Amino acid sequence: MKKFTYLFMFLISISMIGKTQEKSGFGFFTDRDVYVSGETLLAKIFTPEDNPSRIVYLDLVNQFNSRVTGVSLEIKNNQADGFLQLPDSLGSGTYMLRAYLRNTAEKIKIMREIWISNRFDGLEKIDQLKRVAGLEKIQEQKSGQIEIENVDAIYQTNSDIAATIKIDEHLLKEIEGNLLVSVAQTDPSFDPASFIWSSDQFKEGMTENKGIILSGTVTDKKTSEPAAGVTVYLTIPDTIPGFQYYQTRKDGRFYFLLEDYYGPVQAVVQCFGNTPAQRVKIAMDGLYAEPGKIPEFIQQPFPEEFTGNIKRNIDAITFQKIFSQDKIKLATPGIKKQELSPYYGNPTKTVDPQLFIDLPNFTEISRELLPGVKFRNYNNEPTLQVINNNMHTYFTENPLILIDGIPIRDLNVIKDMGTADIERIDVCQNERFYGDLRFPGVVALYTTKADYSRLPESDQLIRMNLETIQLQPIVSEPEIKESSIPDLRQDIYWNPSVVPGENLPVKCITSSIVGQFKLIVRGRLKNGNLIYSEKQFEVK
Amino acid sequence: MNIRIILLIFLFQVSGFSGIIAAQEPMNRNWDAEKIKGTRHIPYPTYSGFPFLNDSWSPGKIEFASGEIADSLYLRYSSFKDEVVYYNKAITTQIVIDKNSLNGFSFTEKDGRTRVFRKQYYDGFMKGNRYFEVLSDGETDLLSYRKVSLVTTMPYKDEQNILKNMVYGTEYQYYFYSQEKGYNLARMNSNSFLSKFVKESQKPIKKLLRKNRIRILDENSFVQAWKVVEKEGFKVIF
Repeated sequence: MKKFTYLFMFLISISMIGKTQEKSGFGFFTDRDVYVSGETLLAKIFTPEDNPSRIVYLDLVNQFNSRVTGVSLEIKNNQADGFLQLPDSLGSGTYMLRAYLRNTAEKIKIMREIWISNRFDGLEKIDQLKRVAGLEKIQEQKSGQIEIENVDAIYQTNSDIAATIKIDEHLLKEIEGNLLVSVAQTDPSFDPASFIWSSDQFKEGMTENKGIILSGTVTDKKTSEPAAGVTVYLTIPDTIPGFQYYQTRKDGRFYFLLEDYYGPVQAVVQCFGNTPAQRVKIAMDGLYAEPGKIPEFIQQPFPEEFTGNIKRNIDAITFQKIFSQDKIKLATPGIKKQELSPYYGNPTKTVDPQLFIDLPNFTEISRELLPGVKFRNYNNEPTLQVINNNMHTYFTENPLILIDGIPIRDLNVIKDMGTADIERIDVCQNERFYGDLRFPGVVALYTTKADYSRLPESDQLIRMNLETIQLQPIVSEPEIKESSIPDLRQDIYWNPSVVPGENLPVKCITSSIVGQFKLIVRGRLKNGNLIYSEKQFEVK
Repeated sequence: MNIRIILLIFLFQVSGFSGIIAAQEPMNRNWDAEKIKGTRHIPYPTYSGFPFLNDSWSPGKIEFASGEIADSLYLRYSSFKDEVVYYNKAITTQIVIDKNSLNGFSFTEKDGRTRVFRKQYYDGFMKGNRYFEVLSDGETDLLSYRKVSLVTTMPYKDEQNILKNMVYGTEYQYYFYSQEKGYNLARMNSNSFLSKFVKESQKPIKKLLRKNRIRILDENSFVQAWKVVEKEGFKVIF
């Protein structure tokens, strides 16, 4: 029996070890921990090595468990960096930043507690400081093998700093990836920390190893059951529109991959029932994870020092806004191989109606400018046919009709479009195929406004403003030419991609802000441990 | 007692595996971001000869312009129109794949031989993108343009007893190709082969071919000869 008990305990301990190991692998750092609404927050995330995801999500959740904003960052060499624009309207209080991967979001999230002060209210409506409690802190080890040299105890405002980071050669071999080096104002009264939020009750999601996955469900409006066999279209309107389709299975689910899109993108997701009578409804899944359970908070009185710092921070950010001192610049992403032709192929002809006389409607345009395209509107029942050049006859079915790349079926949408409304018309006068879709000719209209206002509103069509993979930020150098304008940067150095070396120079200029500053070096070792070294100085 | 221990281990393993299984979201098989673009293949007029390179559908793969690869396709290369046709099982249609959407394609013949075609811009007569079969890949490539043309011939009657005077005739062209220097037309004979090298090299090349018992009589021996000569470091002059 003793043997049996020992074995039981051994197996339990093994399973426990497995679970604690699963939690490691993340590191999450920000430029500071105390912010003002309207400011830009900079972040660096180390992601687990064994996760093939290309995307890590960074979002902001308030104390009431509502998601405020978020971005998706590209992971390169198991690390990602980016920024989050904090909305101007945020109320003062403690917020949680979350970092997670789509496939393991339900299992593990890394949270970082930050303070945001409203730029206009300050601390007027707040009397207590809420701090997170009850979550496991991510441990960082202070490394004695990283030395920060040539940093004075006191600096004047707007003076040069030329520090050197010296890393022991044995440690260099152990460091994985790049280092984060930052010099920013600190607030000792708000001790920062990152926490692990984990759950045993989870369902693994899809791995985004190629790019962001958009997903959703199509349901039959009559039965409220998932609709199978429905073709869902995703269009990214552009001069050469992006297009994908997906045929739902029994579960009514659909998925689209956004691989090569960066920055804000407009997208249209739509579907049509299997029969003209079938009415369906699209519901998109959220791009970001559900807020989930709120962490516990404990209330503390405001330290006096903290209140004073916040007032100075608000003044600094307000001046930065007035003088348009941007913290970051966006780098242009690498040029991707662009599609040479739209998904409907090279058009047989392209017409620019604006080069011709004014024509009031599409019937006139098709008659005068589009030989081989027959648009008729008898008894207010419009029909459209395109000639098949290979067979020298008109297709009997309606062609694929696109407005700014978005498929439409209702011809009433285009019947009143005159030459003033149309920038360009592409016509394909042959049978086109895209995957398993067949198009008996194509008529693609590109409007002058390109505002998609002509698209009919329905449950079968969703317009979205997507924030796809964030463009790589570069922290701005001070560009203040007039001596009368103060330099009010609280971050005076931020480089999340420092290649480890024995001697690393750090050159920066202090701003006009006075107070305590810290130069911090952070990194991750091959064994997953997070290390740091720091040096504090004062700007007077 | 032992049975209890075995049962316990089994229980732990089962609980571990069930966790893994529950963790997997069912993947949909029609998940595929890049789709094939094309037009319906219209059958060519019937004449004596053969407009395709392969007489039946061969399993193969295509490489999109984005670099993504789609495999498990049934392909045929039309030498007559220089286009690749695939059979779409789902809609039972033969589709000509848009040339501008591809970088190239490959298929495996019945005898197990894989033939690789690459889309390249040809700057000679009839400029434009062409599919070249890659016979040898290296610093200098040996390429073949598998051209079939309709040529006028003596009148003949086909299987339906219809009088015709056109046939599909093969006009294969071979090129040495270097990315920097371009195309250099080659013919399948010894003299043409030797003329591609500087005079001082021609004698050692002849000797090398003799030593390897290669006589250039056809395409196979030409490719073999080029591979041997290339291995020895001889360079084609452009």
